[in-house]
Order: sequence, then structure tokens, then C-alpha cells
Amino acid sequence: MFGKGLATGLEITLKELFTPKVTIQYPEERAPLPARFHGRFTLDKEACIACGLCQNACPNRVINCVRTKVDKKNVLTGYHMDIQYCLFCGLCVEACPKGALRFSQDFEMACYHRENVPLVLLAEGDRPACDVSAAGGKEVKAGD
Amino acid sequence: MITGTDLRDRLEHDIKTDRYVLNMGPQHPATHGVFRVVLTLDGEVIVNAEAVCGYLHRGIEKLAEARTYTQVIPYTDRMDYLAAMLNNLGYVQTLEKMMGVEVPERAEYIRVICAELTRIASHLISVGTYSIEIGGITGFFYCLRDREKILDLIEMISGSRMTVSYMRVGGVSEDLPAEFLPQVKKLMKELPAAFDEYDGLITGNEIFQARTKFVGVLNPETAINYSASGPMLRASGVNWDLRKARPYSVYDRFDFEVPLGRNGDCFDRFRMRILEMRQSVRIIEQALEGLPEGPFMGKAPKVIKPPVGEMYHEIEGARGILGYYLVSDGSPKPYRMHVRRPSFINLGLLSELCRGWKLADVVAILGSVDIVLGEVDC
Ligand code: SF4
Ligand code: SF4
Repeated sequence: MFGKGLATGLEITLKELFTPKVTIQYPEERAPLPARFHGRFTLDKEACIACGLCQNACPNRVINCVRTKVDKKNVLTGYHMDIQYCLFCGLCVEACPKGALRFSQDFEMACYHRENVPLVLLAEGDRPACDVSAAGGKEVKAGD
Repeated sequence: MITGTDLRDRLEHDIKTDRYVLNMGPQHPATHGVFRVVLTLDGEVIVNAEAVCGYLHRGIEKLAEARTYTQVIPYTDRMDYLAAMLNNLGYVQTLEKMMGVEVPERAEYIRVICAELTRIASHLISVGTYSIEIGGITGFFYCLRDREKILDLIEMISGSRMTVSYMRVGGVSEDLPAEFLPQVKKLMKELPAAFDEYDGLITGNEIFQARTKFVGVLNPETAINYSASGPMLRASGVNWDLRKARPYSVYDRFDFEVPLGRNGDCFDRFRMRILEMRQSVRIIEQALEGLPEGPFMGKAPKVIKPPVGEMYHEIEGARGILGYYLVSDGSPKPYRMHVRRPSFINLGLLSELCRGWKLADVVAILGSVDIVLGEVDC
């Protein structure tokens, strides 16, 4: 009978009217993110050994890790990411032998100005090489 | 006095109309991206339909030449972005074949689960958007609602919803998280009921059937001649599914059917996808049952350096046969990569299918081919 299919369809939509709503009202409500979510990066400055493996693993040359040689040892003095070119593939995080580079759950990375886009995980001035050498390779803390 | 037959005779023979050219796209909702069809029309009838692609060309094949083999994986995600896991799978399997890397059982099962989940997610988009193109917006939301659940699962495994970069040469990048198994089992129980809903909402709808049945008929010979594959080919009744015909990974261990169409029309091509999703659910259920314990990563060298030579390997992607051709010069970067993208090759049939149909059918025909522009342009 013509119209039977239409009626079946309407029946389905009518049933759906009484099921709980699935739409999440962002930003008032937030969906739970899984533990492995690929969000903004975090860097554990203490754990990082400045090996540069993350930089080499990146397919798009996003990472620039600035290293300074202190007492024959590499010390991380800067860590920049041109995150606008990042594919969020996770190859860098996977390459890190110390687990220093990680993803966080922060996904709200939009900003108003282009110059704010690059992600600076360690600014050069924050940890000058001379301070690092003075403290015997350890980071100098304020007040020390 | 002029009779009706006379009038028609005159209209057809005496009154000549000029052919004209109409651009459909590059910005058109039914093209699923940036894509143009140059239609030559005689009144409302299609005389020729020329596909113009390239608007989304990023040169992935060329980019690959400047990346190491592992670094190419994220780029494969961005070809058929609706079915990234399948793209990953084809690429890593090509490399494994080249280097003779053994993949552990567990990794193979995880791969099958991910691949079939992606196939369902991809077909859901195809089914949903096809419903919109025929004019039924409601169906789309039902499909997207369920696709969201699959994307949540994929995100749980890989951390990304669409561009997953999950597979590696020798296995997968991470093991399945503990919370994954109960959720995927629950979803597999729910999905068949959802497919029934789509059948009730879309497939059984008389208007939908009137618009798609016996429209854009593709006969098996033409399909084979144009090297069509996937649901497009099987809708014409040709039984060719690589998962059955030349099993790769562990597909030979699962019991599933290859749905076949009868008429090769738009309706069959649409229906093929719903039937395939049902089979994918069967495969996933069996894979979950047989999921062995063990490592998720085999013994693959840290630096992927395949021996000098070339390799072609193909798998059954969501849209058809997805093939990777890699040439190695012994360095850690591919010398040449070429991808046989099913959308691109299926799209070649567009003109053949559209000819003689009305302008309004172009959308129905194009939708039934189910192209993804990321893959067409690569
Ligand atoms: S996620 Fe991928 S693209 Fe982004 S910085 Fe890491 S390796 Fe590079
Ligand atoms: S791979 Fe890890 S330890 Fe090495 S430089 Fe990068 S963040 Fe630091």
C-alpha cells in the first residue's frame, strides 16, 4: 500500500520524541574526554633530557627544541611548537623516551591573534644556559 | 487539428533547443566537498557530465617522498578522512609485506575491529547524507547519532576522532583501553536496531524509492570495465570483496556474507551500505569473541627501511579497493608512493551513469557513488 513506508518513518520519529536527548549543550555541558585524548601539549621540563627525538619524529617540523651544551650534556633551554601546523598525530609523544611530552585534555585552543597560536612550552629566557650551568645542570628556582 | 502525438512529434523533431552547459559546484552541498560537475544539458536531460576535481589536492603522494615511512601514516588519515583506520591499515600492511614483518595475533584482531568500526562509521555518513540528498533530512540525524558513538570508541582507542594515526608497522600504537571492550559490546548489541530504524526511515520510504529505484543503472560489464569497486560494484551483482576474494589480515577466520545487489541502480548502491554495516557488526562480534591476549606490537625495526624494490598491496576500503604502491630505494623515505583511491576511480563512472537522466537525478546518482573529496583529490 502506498504510504505505508511513510507511516513507518513517522512512527520511528514519534518514538524518538520520547527518548532521552543526546545533544550535549556545550559549553554549559561537556562530554567526558577519554584518557588518550589528543589535546594541547604539556612538557615536563625536569624529565626532558633534550634528546630531540620528538623533533625528529614530527612529520611537519612543528617542534623546535632549543638545546645548549653544558658540561658535555645537552640541556633544554627552549621548547617551541608551531602548533598551527600540528597534525595531532602523536608521533612526538610516542617518540619521547622519558614521557616528558604529553597530551593534555585541553582542546580549546582557538585564539584571536595569530601570534598567540605557537605554543611555547619553555621560553628561552625562562631558563638561560648560564643559570643551568651555575646550578650544575639543575634548573634554578626563584629564591635560590 | 493537432493531436497529442502530432504535438510531441513536432516538439521532438521540429523545435530544436540549444544545448547548454551548467556548472554544478564547486560549492554545492551534494558534492560532499569542493568538486565540480560540468553538465551539458539538453533541456533537462543530461547529455554529458564531466567531473572536475582537484580543488582539494594537497599532493599527499609527493609529500610522502619527503617524510619517513612512519611519518607518512598521519597523511594517509587525511585521504579518506571518513575511514582513516582503513587507510592506515592499507599503508602499514604494504610496508609489512615489503619488509616481511610479522604482526601479532592480538594486533591483527584489534586492526580488524578498528577497520570494521570505521567502515560502519563511514557508511553511516554515506547513508545519512544520501537521505539528505534525496530530500529527507531526518535520516541524517539518526545516522550521525550512531556514528558519534563509534567515533567516541575510536577516540578512546587512538585519542582522535577522525585522523587517528593508530596503526604502525608491526602492530598498533597502543593496546585497547580497558573500558573499550564493554562499550563496544554494548554498541554492537544496539546497532542492528539502529539499522532497522534507517530501513524504516529511509529505505522503506516510498518517495525515496521513487527517486532512486532504476535510476542510474550500472550494468556489471560497465562496472568492471571502469574498474569500479566496493559497494558500487557489488550493487551491480558482481561478487568481489577482497576480504573474501583475497583475505588479508585475519579476515579468513570470520564468518560473514558479501551482500550483492540485483539491479545496480542508486537504490541498490544505497542498500548495499546498510547491508554491509550489518555484516561488519557480525565481524566485530566474532573478533571480540576471539580476541587473543598477547603483544599489540610485533618485532619491527625502529627505523623503517624496506629493501630496495616495489610493492603493491590492496585492501577492501569503505568505498572500494584501496591500494598502495610503494617504491623503496633503500632509504628511510619512500622513493614514490601512489595510492589507488576507490572514490576517484568510481567517480569515473559519473558521466556514464548520468547520461540520459534528468538534472534532478544527478544528485541522486552522485550521492550513490559516495565520494570523499579528500580521497578523490588526495
Ligand atoms: S602531534 Fe604530530 S604533527 Fe604535532 S608536533 Fe607531534 S609529531 Fe608533530
Ligand atoms: S623526546 Fe622527550 S626527552 Fe627528548 S627532547 Fe623531546 S620531550 Fe625532551
